[in-house]
Amino acid sequence: MKRQILPFSLAGIIIALAAGCASDEAKYVDPAGTKTLVTLDKINQQDLNQAAEAMITSLRSKFIDAGKLSGTGPNGIAVLKIERVINSTSQQWDPDLLTKKIRIDLLNTGRVATTTTFGGDAESKIGQDLAKEQQFTGKGPGVLNPDYTLTGKVIEDMDRAGNKRQKTYVFQLTLTSIRDGLAIWEDEKTITKAGTRSGAGW
Amino acid sequence: MSTRPSIFITLGAAAILVAGCQTPVNTTEPAQPAGQRSLIPEKRVIRDADLNRRVDIRGVNERVGPAGLLTIQVELLNHTSSRHRFSYKFEWFDAQGMELAGPAAVFVQRQIEGNEDIFITATAPNELAKDFRLKLISTD
Repeated sequence: MKRQILPFSLAGIIIALAAGCASDEAKYVDPAGTKTLVTLDKINQQDLNQAAEAMITSLRSKFIDAGKLSGTGPNGIAVLKIERVINSTSQQWDPDLLTKKIRIDLLNTGRVATTTTFGGDAESKIGQDLAKEQQFTGKGPGVLNPDYTLTGKVIEDMDRAGNKRQKTYVFQLTLTSIRDGLAIWEDEKTITKAGTRSGAGW
Repeated sequence: MSTRPSIFITLGAAAILVAGCQTPVNTTEPAQPAGQRSLIPEKRVIRDADLNRRVDIRGVNERVGPAGLLTIQVELLNHTSSRHRFSYKFEWFDAQGMELAGPAAVFVQRQIEGNEDIFITATAPNELAKDFRLKLISTD
């Protein structure tokens, strides 16, 4: 009797453990982890995470830590204007999903701040109006001119061999110095996904 | 009598499959490199012995750049002859041991070929970062 119970108990434990690892029920996943979905047909959060991480690492090592940064903002801080990231893919997604991560990281360095009051596409219209008013009345510096602008493009390419598909996304970013109009930092990150169907986890 | 051919067929198929996955890498480099790496002492916690065989940490070196940011370079070696996919993440800590989280603190996907030696590099988010921790996870 004891011999019969033992295998059933073990099988039960194994099934319970397997169910815990491979449940189909919806659950929260860490967007920075390795258990997010890998979709073949679209740019997803982890593609943007990977692209942003590569760009941030490049900006830190090749630009900020290389001592190339110089700013005219308060305490010598560099003023950045996020200009335009063109989405040349077949899907609609907001480029802010990429650029926001980069500007947060640049702000965290303590050496760069993004202007939200400069230009016709200023994010803060109230801030822009007040800055202009302060400049007019001589009570403030007004709208600060940017030292750098960030522009970019995201390009898509697709290949197929039999029933296997390959999707490539190329993220290109450029930092331009307003002083001389030269691109002082540029980088590119290519993300390629291949397979026959989308999957869960990496 | 009939089991012998089936064993040979199975072994042959297994050999073909294994050979298909093997991706050994040949390399060449100067016998006496001009650059000397300053390797730092490290403390490892190995919980996945198989991953450690496929993605073995050979050495860690660091550099502080002109702007005072800490850059870490880790050399990894695949002791097997087959390709392996893994993910890594760098975490940064200030002088009080507090984590400096940011948008770049995500797992990064990489692939290492059979017997290949690769480097992964990361630069600290700001000059407050004094320590780091590297996490490696198998994604095969």
